[in-house]
Amino acid sequence: MKFRAYLAASIVAIIAAAAPRTANAEVSPLDLVGPIAEYKIFIGENLEKLVSETKAFTDAVKAGDLEKAKKLYAPTRMNYEIVEPVAELFSDLDGSIDSRADDHEQKEKDPGFTGFHRLEYGLFSQNSTEGLAEFADKLQADVVELHKRITDLTFPPEKVFGGAAALMEEVAATKISGEEDRYSHTDLWDFKANFDGSRKIFELARPLIEKSDGAFVTKVAGNFDTVDKTLSKYKTAEGYELYDKLTDDDRSVLAAAVNTLAEDLSTLRGKLGLN
Amino acid sequence: MTKDRDNKPFMTSRRGLLLGAGAAGSALAAGITASQAASSHGEQVTDAPVSDKMLEQQPFHGQYQSGIVTPRPAAGMVASFRVLASKPEEVERLFRSLTERIAFLMKGGTPPALDDKLPPADSGILGPVVLPDNLTITVSLGASFFEQREWLSPHKPARLSRMKAFKNDALDQSLCHGDLSLQISSNTPDTNIHALRDILKNLPDLMVLRWKQEGSVPVLPRSPDGTHQSARNFLGFRDGSANPDAGDAGLMQRIVWVQDGGDEPAWARNGSYQAVRIIRNFVERWDRTPLGEQERIIGRLKPSGAPFGGRTETEVPDYAKDPDGTVTPLDAHIRLANDRSKAADAHLILRRPFNYSNGVSKSGQLEQGLLFICYQADLEKGFIAVQNKLNGEPLEEYIKPIGGGFFFTLPGVTGADDFLGRPLLEAAGHTPTNTKS
Repeated sequence: MKFRAYLAASIVAIIAAAAPRTANAEVSPLDLVGPIAEYKIFIGENLEKLVSETKAFTDAVKAGDLEKAKKLYAPTRMNYEIVEPVAELFSDLDGSIDSRADDHEQKEKDPGFTGFHRLEYGLFSQNSTEGLAEFADKLQADVVELHKRITDLTFPPEKVFGGAAALMEEVAATKISGEEDRYSHTDLWDFKANFDGSRKIFELARPLIEKSDGAFVTKVAGNFDTVDKTLSKYKTAEGYELYDKLTDDDRSVLAAAVNTLAEDLSTLRGKLGLN
Repeated sequence: MTKDRDNKPFMTSRRGLLLGAGAAGSALAAGITASQAASSHGEQVTDAPVSDKMLEQQPFHGQYQSGIVTPRPAAGMVASFRVLASKPEEVERLFRSLTERIAFLMKGGTPPALDDKLPPADSGILGPVVLPDNLTITVSLGASFFEQREWLSPHKPARLSRMKAFKNDALDQSLCHGDLSLQISSNTPDTNIHALRDILKNLPDLMVLRWKQEGSVPVLPRSPDGTHQSARNFLGFRDGSANPDAGDAGLMQRIVWVQDGGDEPAWARNGSYQAVRIIRNFVERWDRTPLGEQERIIGRLKPSGAPFGGRTETEVPDYAKDPDGTVTPLDAHIRLANDRSKAADAHLILRRPFNYSNGVSKSGQLEQGLLFICYQADLEKGFIAVQNKLNGEPLEEYIKPIGGGFFFTLPGVTGADDFLGRPLLEAAGHTPTNTKS
């Protein structure tokens, strides 16, 4: 409680400093304090899960347990994908945890290629845990560092509420094509985490705009439902089917929902009076 | 999106255009080059290039859609979409939204100003005021649009089919087909891109972009005697010399527009079939081919575009006097496509192609070619029959069709109360209910 009160105070300071032109805004900056505090708790919980599950995943890699490591790859990543709008504020860590081979000049061979996708490449493409121990240690150290930095962070409101759209942009730009998890093809797990992360932010904002903008809220919720319904067709006991199973029809349905969510959620910040 | 009906309509540009042309003409006559003129006015390197054609405007309302018999401007694009709208009300919303956006874009105007905490309503790439710049956007539907909607499938135009590969094709499925095509053309590529981005932004839940191909047409100086010449393709030959006269309304009714009295559904009247082909040209190899051989393959003289033995491109070759192909080889492109016999009249098509240039192949060759677009009242007697006559032609060594599709271009929007696809919806038993676009 004490922590929350402190957090609330610092957020108000930030908002006052940003001084948005709120003359006509129906949402007062103070209204955002509660939702942001709740979001910080949500992120904290997911980060704790990220740290503990990454530990189990990287331990399996280091123990040479290929099957177990493969099995833990996708569910572990989801904890990162769900907090991505905040995690991305630290671009150095985002790069070392989640960059793809394309981001590096020498692709898979590049020494700068580390993190989840480097391990994914070894496990699924090379089908081996050999030589992965150093990448496993690095990933574990990075997520611990990320947790620490985010705990100390005052969440910028425009980044929090802009995050709902940012997650959709991620999906629209690279994930809908299956480029993200190209070795394991577990992209649908990432989808799910990105959508859940985005929906959480939307739901936090919802009470603030439901009255003034009911049509918007209904439309966005409807598109999230469409996504959930479509993804649920690919649910398995453990998680999700591989990306290759996604039909052209469903890919189009998801693409349209993602594009529409990206368009609509791009206005969320503004609707909350944020710059 | 709020409408801008109050906006002052732009002047149609004939006068401005003629004045501009006159000025350009006298500048040329006086021997002043453009670059000299530019430097004398103190222009800066990043100044926007100036055009006197930005106010040129094509009508959106009419019996037929614009962009078919409309003279082809310098920049064109075909974009193909997967359509998500499935129920009649959704398809109506799709058609009404397209109608609203296209009507605005073709006329021009000022997009609404929103709160600066929101993303802007318009991409802004043409500036705060959108000028028409001779834009046309032509909407057509693929066979899958009808086949995937049970309530529409009985109303599919009689000759609309999914494009099948011809003998020389190497089709890349990611560049083929689609539920809906937009042919976007205007004076400048930026105007086309602006239009595409506007439509993508405004209809994200109704359609998803699958592929697009942009193209251009080389511009020519206005000829002193007012005569027109066909533009050249990337093989360096005039393309369109034998095109039927788009200004001849009766001829267009016969060749291009679907009419009553055949076996086409009544709603399709005043529509047309659109065939799109992305045809890669192997230009390096072509440029290394002797001129005489190039001309024999095409069937025309390269500099003038005239048929063999002729002087101008408009001359009609007399194949009856050349039955053995001693003047024009029997397998020359233009002779195979149209042997100028009475029978060939049944296979006439209206071509409206653009040249494209995309990048470099893995082999380090230019990815260039022809964004072939043609219109006809009967797809089978038109493009399909003509292409079948061309199968095996010597030109095949230099070209490779890699994409495209067949579509049916909807009839025009007759007035402010009408919208694209309304006759189709009504034929399918859907009474348009949603009066708000």
